[in-house]
Parts: sequence; C-alpha cells; structure tokens
Amino acid sequence: MAVFPHYPLLTARLRLRPFTRGDVDAVYAYRGREDVARYLFDPPLSRNECAMAIQQRINQVALEAEGDRLILAVDVGATGQLAGEVSLIWRSEEARQGEMGWIFHPDFQGKGFASEAAAALLNIAFDQADLHRVFARCDAANAASWRLMERLGMRREAHFREHGLFKGAWDEEFYYAILRREWMAQRHSILPQ
Amino acid sequence: MSKPLALPLDTAHLVLRPFERRDLDGVSHYHTLPNVQRYVERSTRHPDDVAAAVELMRSHVSLQRPGDTLSLAMVRKGDEQLVGHVTLTWADATASQGEVRFVIDPAYSGKGYLSQAITAMLNLGFDHFQLHRIFVRCDGRCHHSIKLLQKLGLRLEAHYREHALFQGEWDEELHFAMLDREWRPSTKVLEMPRRDRVA
Repeated sequence: MAVFPHYPLLTARLRLRPFTRGDVDAVYAYRGREDVARYLFDPPLSRNECAMAIQQRINQVALEAEGDRLILAVDVGATGQLAGEVSLIWRSEEARQGEMGWIFHPDFQGKGFASEAAAALLNIAFDQADLHRVFARCDAANAASWRLMERLGMRREAHFREHGLFKGAWDEEFYYAILRREWMAQRHSILPQ
Repeated sequence: MSKPLALPLDTAHLVLRPFERRDLDGVSHYHTLPNVQRYVERSTRHPDDVAAAVELMRSHVSLQRPGDTLSLAMVRKGDEQLVGHVTLTWADATASQGEVRFVIDPAYSGKGYLSQAITAMLNLGFDHFQLHRIFVRCDGRCHHSIKLLQKLGLRLEAHYREHALFQGEWDEELHFAMLDREWRPSTKVLEMPRRDRVA
C-alpha cells in the first residue's frame, strides 16, 4: 500500500531523511569514487551529475504507486555526517514486492551502519508498505553487500552466471530475498532496535 | 549463423518439426488438460485460444532477431503421434542468451521424449545459434521437470519463493541454466572435412 513515512526515521545511531540540495558535496564524496562505483550500474558521477541526482531524489520520499522509489540519506547521529544512502523500490503492487539497495562511503563501512539503515527500511517495507517480499541484488564479487544481506536474514535465491554483460565483462549476480513473515519472526534477533 | 537452419531435427524417437495447421487437434488434446494448464503462462482453456496458439507457433520457424522464438512439434517416429512441443527463444543478443521451454502430453511423459527434445534444442542453441547461455524455468511443484533438467546437467541458478502471483497463487519458480562451454553431450562430434585431416 502507499506509504508516506514520517521523517526523519531514527535508529540507535542513525537518522534517515530525504535528500536536500545541501547534500551535493557529501554525495559526490562517495558517488564520485571509482571503488564505490565498481559494482553500481552508473560509472563514477561528476559533481554536476550528483547535483542532478539529488534534484531527482528530493521527490523520491514516498511510495504512492508501483515503480516509485524511496531514496534516503543516512546521517550518523553523533556528528550528523552523511554516510550513504538506502533505497526501496516498489516493484509490484499486485504481488507486493519491493527491492532494496544501499550505497555507503567507504569511510563509514564496517561499522554496521548499513545494516542498521537497511533494517529500518525493511521495517518501513513490511510494517507501513505492507509488502510481502523484499529482494536485493548484487555482484557476486561484492562480498560486503551480500554479507550484509545475510546478516539481515535474507536468503540467497539466485546465483546467475554469465547471464548478461556488465561493464564489458560477463556478469555474476546474487539475488537475495526475505518474506514478510520471516522478517517479522526474526527482526528483533537480527539487530538491537 | 552461416549455415541455414536444417529442419526437421531428428532424435532417437522423435522428429522435431515446425507446426502445421493440421496440428490443431493434437495440440488441443494436451494443451487444455488441467495438468498442463496449471503450469503454462498463456492459458488456453477454450478451443479458440488453442487455435490462436497454434497459429502463433506456426510462425515461429527461425530466430532472426532477439525476442524471436523457434517452436517445434515433438512428433513420435513411426505413428507420427504429436506428444508435445519444445521452443527456443533468443532472449538477449548482446549477452547471447536463450531460453528453452517445453510442454509434453502427460500420456507420453516418462519415456525419455522430453530429454531427447531438450537435448536437441540445447545442441541447436549452442552449435547452430552459438548462444553463450541457455536457461530453462520451471515451477517449483514440477518434480518431473526438475529431475529431468538436473539429469541433463543444467545447474539450478535460482529458486524464487513467493516472488509473484501466478494463477492466483504465490509462485515458486526455479531457473536452470547451462553455459556453452559446459555443454558436452556425447552427440557433439564435429565431423571434419577430409582435407583438414592430418595425413
């Protein structure tokens, strides 16, 4: 169902909120990096491209219809620094499916911030948006990403080999998913709320 | 794809040939069965739907561009009984991907016909159309199909649970796949012209 979350969303250490025009430099700090872009569909972005992306995201704050995206900035509560972004896409209204994703600045990786932000988004997906299943995809070589999916209790549902071309090479892709009833049953044991 | 496509294909017990108008009765016989309808994407519960499906399959005679499908009738040698059909779709041109789909009349399953037909389609896809990867999807409840695809050496690459609604129920879908370099059936002996042999 349609969802208009109340912002900011607060977790133990983080603040999830819509992007604003003031975020351009902070976003460029990670979206402009080669190592961050390696597993993303986009190449590293210029500062101008970051500004345009943010312009778009300012409106991506609610799920009103199938295909809508919710893309939120993740601030670390203590310092208020922008650590990265998380997204939830409403893929199917009929089958109540959603897709989740995240991009974080390498300086903020390995601290459990992405898990914490993703868990907050899964709560939105299953509590407020009433989705039945949420999936996430990543390159098989992107261990940080798929380990995060496993920490969230997601199940590896697909391992595609050479099913497409990605940035000029054969792609190997993992596909993880979690059902509403599975998240409801285990969310409190996954992360301290 | 320098060589023209040579049809029909020949297997031990089957001839795989393009569909003809006279196949309507044969297709109606198996395609409207509840056991078949349960797993097909396009429902053909009414005679008109079957006629439209046969018309469509009659036009599936070659793969010229991505998205094209080749549909072949599985006809038993000897009595010319239509036992099912098998298709190859050119799914993606840049990554050279193909998909095989199949339907068999339950009255003729378990005799190895599907195994022969799918093998022939994999040969065709990898040898003639030079595909890089061929995948086959099936419903999680189709135990016979799952066993068959595993026996043919395809790898289970995906097992989606409740990812969509199919005929009003949560769908469970499996993807099997094989890469060109993994496809080494005993039938794949390339005949060399005499002049290329070392004396």
